[in-house]
Amino acid sequence: MARIGVFICHCGENISATVDCTKVCETTAKLKHVAYATEYKYMCSDPGQSLIKEAIKKYNLTGVVVSACSPRMHEPTFRKACAEAGLNPFLCEMANLREHCSWVHEKSESTTQKAIDIVRILVEKVKHNAALQPIRVPVTKTALVIGGGIAGIQAALDIANCGHKVIMVERSPSIGGHMSQLSETFPTLDCSQCILTPRMVEVLQHPNITLYSYAEVEGLDGFIGNFVVKIRKKAKSLDEKVCTGCGLCITKCPVKKIPNEFEQGMGFRHAIYVPFPQAVPNKPVIDREHCTYYIKGKCKVCEIVCPTKAIRFDQPDEVIEAKVGAIVVATGFDIKHADFFPEYGYGKYKDVIDGLQFERLASASGPTSGEILRPSDGQKPKNIVFIACAGSRDPAKGIAYCSKICCMYTAKHAMLYKHKVHEGNAYVFYMDIRSAGKNYEEFVHRAIEEDHVNYIRGRVSTVYERDGKLIVKGVDTLLGAQPVEIVADMVVLATAGIANNGAEQLAQRLHISYDSHKFFAEAHPKLKPVETNTAGIFLAGACQNPKDIPDSVSQASGAAVKVAVLFSQNELTREPLVAVVNRMGPPMYSTCVGCFMCQPVCPYQAIEREEYKTRDGKVIKTVAKINEGLCQGCGTCVALCRSKSIDLYGYTNEQVYTEVVALLNDY
Amino acid sequence: MSNVATKAKELLESKAVQVVIGYENGTNGVVRPAFITTPAKAAQLIYDERCVQNLAVYLTKHEVKHFGKMGIVATLPVMRSIMMLISEQQVFPDNIVVLGIADDGNILDFADMKIMQAHIGKSNLENPSKDQEKLAELNKMSLEERFKFWEQELSKCIKCYACRQSCPMCYCTRCFTECNQPQWLPVQSNTHGNMEWHILRAMHLAGRCISCGECGRACPVNIPCHLLTMQLADQTFNYFNVHAGISEDMKSVMSTFEPNDKESFII
Repeated sequence: MARIGVFICHCGENISATVDCTKVCETTAKLKHVAYATEYKYMCSDPGQSLIKEAIKKYNLTGVVVSACSPRMHEPTFRKACAEAGLNPFLCEMANLREHCSWVHEKSESTTQKAIDIVRILVEKVKHNAALQPIRVPVTKTALVIGGGIAGIQAALDIANCGHKVIMVERSPSIGGHMSQLSETFPTLDCSQCILTPRMVEVLQHPNITLYSYAEVEGLDGFIGNFVVKIRKKAKSLDEKVCTGCGLCITKCPVKKIPNEFEQGMGFRHAIYVPFPQAVPNKPVIDREHCTYYIKGKCKVCEIVCPTKAIRFDQPDEVIEAKVGAIVVATGFDIKHADFFPEYGYGKYKDVIDGLQFERLASASGPTSGEILRPSDGQKPKNIVFIACAGSRDPAKGIAYCSKICCMYTAKHAMLYKHKVHEGNAYVFYMDIRSAGKNYEEFVHRAIEEDHVNYIRGRVSTVYERDGKLIVKGVDTLLGAQPVEIVADMVVLATAGIANNGAEQLAQRLHISYDSHKFFAEAHPKLKPVETNTAGIFLAGACQNPKDIPDSVSQASGAAVKVAVLFSQNELTREPLVAVVNRMGPPMYSTCVGCFMCQPVCPYQAIEREEYKTRDGKVIKTVAKINEGLCQGCGTCVALCRSKSIDLYGYTNEQVYTEVVALLNDY
Repeated sequence: MSNVATKAKELLESKAVQVVIGYENGTNGVVRPAFITTPAKAAQLIYDERCVQNLAVYLTKHEVKHFGKMGIVATLPVMRSIMMLISEQQVFPDNIVVLGIADDGNILDFADMKIMQAHIGKSNLENPSKDQEKLAELNKMSLEERFKFWEQELSKCIKCYACRQSCPMCYCTRCFTECNQPQWLPVQSNTHGNMEWHILRAMHLAGRCISCGECGRACPVNIPCHLLTMQLADQTFNYFNVHAGISEDMKSVMSTFEPNDKESFII
């Protein structure tokens, strides 16, 4: 015989201001099978919880209904309290009198009546609750880090230093990401390469890290603690174990005029190449699209000159499978190429470049060895114009959001220019200066006050060429919207930061959600900024939204800690609120008829096939089986199952049906 | 001996199949299903315009399956039922031989399911014309009139479940109506409980009904319950441009999502 305890919380005045809690208590106390009912001002407080614990023991309760706030808020609290009093935690249910009643209604008789009904339904439900045991799943203590930029590097090193194995997958031939392309970094102007390359080398040499460069994640199966990832190692056409990275092949390669991606098209590379001198791993790959051998069938100069005979022209792509327990996605961002702004003349005029191209011009290892020279004629620009928000904060033509990093790097660019071309003039057109960050505002002021960069608040309407000069037409809104015309030698566009190409496909492969801009979505914007909606997959860096280096690094360490927390246990326990396909003895085995219509609707790929066989291996019946590690308890399969063969623990058909019937019936 | 009988005899003699499901003469001038297991009895098989029952319903029955490989006399609705059953993994192509009946009554030889699929593709897949007329009539009614019509019709239902038993798509070994924890439907016949049953049955057949009309023919109290599932067949075609039972690997309309699905019915 059920003995239910009802505990009504006032939630301060949150509930009691509109609901007559005393009446709810008195009415529900008279319900059939309710052994005890009481009210209290703060049920979640320590004395409130003690009230529940004592009542469980005193009245020998078989079920508890806490009528308080949303179960999202305090269900774990009260279930834990019940467990401490010796009651199975899943015999405790919450009636949501706050969000579902007191907050949304005026004080009235019917509000109290609704509160009584809500409690009544849960009393009926809890009678059908079963004592459930948590599910335990093993954890593979290896992490996968996708992306080898600064965020990926930081996450990988932190996890590896905790003593866990890490697999890092990087799509390009070298790790380093966008940070390796930068000349200097704000707000300290220290050299990007100088602070990054030691970390890159550490990744390569770390005994716990396996690096797959020139590789991509092709597929993902499994669930938290137990993922199986498929990695395609693209053919480098070279035996990495034999290659010493001497670089002789590169110097002899006859194909020399391929626009260099690392230099943002400002320089050239060979068909066999390493992206940049400090690349990690520092071993070349053959670009099969441009290599003469792959196009015409002859050449093989690299093979001839290689002193260790490391070239393998017939090397195939290799697909490997790895078991990992957690994943950090750190695939970074891209910049919007400025060609969608025809009025700024990007692509049309050689001296209109984007921010990343300017980084390469200013970089000591770049195509001009760090001298700021016009791409068109190699002259020093005397007047240079920087246009901030080229695409950002522009819902009509570009993107609605603020790319966050541009204000700071534009100030940095203007400073770098002034440091290298002392007699030159730098102008910055801006909408607002957004420099929130430690020492950021001071940095911008240094640009304006010490380096005399001319900041003009207003937008640029057009850039056109006249007599070899670029005419920048804009407006100065601080001078009463006065038109401004600047005769410039060079224009740099701070184009918007956007999601990396392939982000959408990767998100679909990993089953993580992404926003309308194809940036990966966090599980909660405030309280779960590092987690994704898929358990065991975490985010780091600019794949979530444009971020600067300090933010990316902090988030990467955050993601690493999340992984370390996961790996700190040998087994994961999770709530047993999962769907189950019924089982019974022969000849039926299950009422499931194996139509598998549930399979495509499952958002978590949790439904598998199970075969019943005779001793000699003949299949008697094929039925659905739910992987309890993958199931998230959404109940979609339950709704779809025609023969009602699937049930959801904690929300069984019986429980839901009883609730509906309770609501329809008088009491 | 009829064409069907000759073909069935061949199949049984060569042991290509162990049973042929077809029609034979019953009493009082009606035809009935026949399960022929020996070549000697093949001569009993007939095919004429009276042979309208959807025989595909027997393909999933344990008592028939245990014979072994099955041959089945199949008109267009039976062929479509077979396609549906294969796509829902209830029937396996290796386990059946289809004796197709063309519109002119001749036997069609389907070497494999792809050829049958091509034949179905060329056929008229719309609801039968007399049912279309009745549906058009019902759709013209106001909501209240239509509710009243069905309330009246379904009040006659005696919950014999002949509609379910005659339907090849209702192959569950335990129907939800037989579940009593919870008791989804009242056991006894009453108008609203009857309506519940017929609405749920129609929902379970949405996107799966192949418009054979067998449920309506089977009904002992003449409820045109086939119109409910046919209406849904029409609607799924309008929304998703798919007829049920047109290929062996078709995805279930109700359990798959395509980015270009119409979502106009979502409020």
